[in-house]
Amino acid sequence: MANDKKTQSAAVKSLKATGAAAAYQKEWFAGLRKRVDAGEAFGYLNADVPMEVLRAMDIPFVVNQWWAAICAAKRMTGKYYGLLRQKGYRDDLCSYCATALAESFDPDDKTEGPWGGLPNPTIAITRLTCDCQGKIFELFAKNHGANFYAMENTQARKVPLKWWELDEDRWEELYDSDRLDAAVEELKELIRYLEQITGRMFDTNKLIEVMHLINEQELWYKKTRDLIAETSPVPVTVVDTINAVMQAQWQRGTRWAADHAKSLYEEVKALVDQGYHAVPNEKIRLMWIGRGIWHDFAFYQNFEHKYGAAFVWSMYLAMGADAYIRIGVEKDPLRALAARYIGMEDFLHMPPWNAQWWLKEARTNKIDGVVYMIPGNCMQAVEGSYFAIKTLEDAGIPVLIFEADPVDARKWNRDTMTDMVEEFIENRIIGK
Amino acid sequence: MGIRDCALQSSAFTALKYIYDHREAVAEKWRADGKKIVGQLGCDVPDELILAAGMLPVRVYADQGRPLKEADKYLEFSFDPVVRSQFEKLVDGSYGNLVDYLAISNSTDTIVRIFLYLREIRRQEPEKNVPPIDFIDWLFTRNRMHQERNELIIRMFRETLEKWSGHPITDDDIRSAGAICNENRAALRRIQALRRCAEPRITGSEALVIIGASLFMEKEKHTELCLQVAESAKNWPVAKGPRIYYTGSNQENTDLYDIIEEAGGVVVGEDQDWGDRHYDRDYKMEIDPVRAVVDRYMLRQYSAKKSFVSQRVEALDAEADAVRADGVVFFTHAYEEAASWDYPSQKQSLELRGIATAAYAKQIFPIAKNDGLAESVKEFIQQLKGGE
Repeated sequence: MANDKKTQSAAVKSLKATGAAAAYQKEWFAGLRKRVDAGEAFGYLNADVPMEVLRAMDIPFVVNQWWAAICAAKRMTGKYYGLLRQKGYRDDLCSYCATALAESFDPDDKTEGPWGGLPNPTIAITRLTCDCQGKIFELFAKNHGANFYAMENTQARKVPLKWWELDEDRWEELYDSDRLDAAVEELKELIRYLEQITGRMFDTNKLIEVMHLINEQELWYKKTRDLIAETSPVPVTVVDTINAVMQAQWQRGTRWAADHAKSLYEEVKALVDQGYHAVPNEKIRLMWIGRGIWHDFAFYQNFEHKYGAAFVWSMYLAMGADAYIRIGVEKDPLRALAARYIGMEDFLHMPPWNAQWWLKEARTNKIDGVVYMIPGNCMQAVEGSYFAIKTLEDAGIPVLIFEADPVDARKWNRDTMTDMVEEFIENRIIGK
Repeated sequence: MGIRDCALQSSAFTALKYIYDHREAVAEKWRADGKKIVGQLGCDVPDELILAAGMLPVRVYADQGRPLKEADKYLEFSFDPVVRSQFEKLVDGSYGNLVDYLAISNSTDTIVRIFLYLREIRRQEPEKNVPPIDFIDWLFTRNRMHQERNELIIRMFRETLEKWSGHPITDDDIRSAGAICNENRAALRRIQALRRCAEPRITGSEALVIIGASLFMEKEKHTELCLQVAESAKNWPVAKGPRIYYTGSNQENTDLYDIIEEAGGVVVGEDQDWGDRHYDRDYKMEIDPVRAVVDRYMLRQYSAKKSFVSQRVEALDAEADAVRADGVVFFTHAYEEAASWDYPSQKQSLELRGIATAAYAKQIFPIAKNDGLAESVKEFIQQLKGGE
């Protein structure tokens, strides 16, 4: 008899919103290509760059990690890392951030690349949130003939534990004032630079509009997150929510993204109202900490039939719910934006903020166990796992931690990983 | 080669080597005398300010062969081996018993994590003997705005030191300390001149001892010994062999340089923090004292971690030219990856200039554990010698 757990099947996604997000992204990307072909400026950004500035200036952009996920889903990363090796680079470093750099060495990218390949950006922008980012982006920019721009990063001295209670409207209490001051100055410099190279004016009123649209979008995520947390059996799993949210999050600040977030909520709510159960035999609720396994989404569903174990939580929906909303932006929109972007890394990667948040989320989502993936070649994702595990396990929530890569399938063995999670479920959750 | 008899016959050199080999000796004496010591983790903690506060700065370093019980407990596997060992000593009480305070600079992203983890340990496990910490959050990219921000950060560090020392630090205190550090750098540059000249009188391993001792002792005393060595070394035999420039991970001991020099090369320069980079750029006596500190630490030689590829290529080309290198050795520890992104561009540029390169990545610590390293280095040196 075939062993179900080891079947390399594709993930089964049930939400219309998930399909709609994927379809929109393709259509949007085709439109972006036309704009670039027509001579418009085009930005390539790392995920932690305050993209709201480019949105407000109507400069189209692609986000590095989203594009890496597309490359992984299209199974292109093996080829790309091979190109890195050919060019004398190591092929085992910084996979998530260096995929686009690797792709830029592909002479056939414009014909064989994902969705017709990546158009040549006008500008590549990153933040210096690790030692490698600036180097990777400078090399990427050079290969594409793009301008390279780096924004600095600062560390929090003040660390009130429950950041999610302060970030929406009390950011002056949450952050050191000088950090906010510095981030606002960084924004002003970026804006001036973009104005000069694109010839477009940055309009503060437009930024306020963008920020309002983002608030609208993220409020729908908050409602969706809360609905999933309080509903058991769960109406949808991370297989749907990660895809639906991640793609739309990179479109934040647009009418489409806000409407899509609303449609996601309404669809999930309808499922709840209909009594639909994504995992009808749900017995165990799992939390996924870490980036998505973009090359093997079906993995998340491997434990549903045998154990009734459903992955109900990932950061993708919950970060939108807790980390993005900023109330009262009109008073000082740049400071409100600064208060959004400087915390993103800290919330996810800095103890104690990450651990405290995961504990809060685990409790509200009635989590039975946490599966925690850390990539082996990314210092940015090294985030105090000892403290996270201790915080969760002291609260009675067992944690399985393992190494894997979100985009490099060469390092992934579905069977081994499945066995590991099964053993965790049997011994640490069922048998505890 | 490595450390030669001529050096060991110099009383000044052996005095420095004693400090290099017994890195706690001076700090323990200070402690016994009731004076305060600041441990420095990261290479961008300003000596000038600690000296101005009347305290002794000592560099946190890794021990070879020490079991890593605490590091294995708290750190993920992707911390490089040297940092793991440094962390072990910071958590197991070794430094808690040696230094009064710990100043950490954000010189690498790994060290930033160490700061965050130590801060959490102090918060959650106050029974651990981890010293009080201050964190210096430099912005390393070079522009006006970051320079101004750095001035704020350094003013805050000055205030911390005032609290730690229990007395105000005046501008004159800082200037005086700046002058002491400049004199020390000038002395080290005399050593440098004896390495970089056409007929080197000081080997790379000898230089590491001389430079490294300055991280663990009073600057004035170090300057005095350094000048004596410089005088004496004028008469040391010429160190013959292919001229090697070293780039990559910090070398906290002479093991790697010994391998290179025992293979017949001479390490005539490096861009690591336990070598030439330590004394690059002076403190400017004529400007505001805090600005002078920022100027010195922000604008000195690019670090491997906090600079862009193009900057690193240009800097390495300039250095290789300055020392008339025959070959460049690239060396990085496992999980210390940033410089790996520089390497292909640097290699290409050097080879276009006719300079050979050898690269060793993912190296473990201690050096002796790297199978085949010595043989490979020997082969490279032989190639530089023309295969003789």
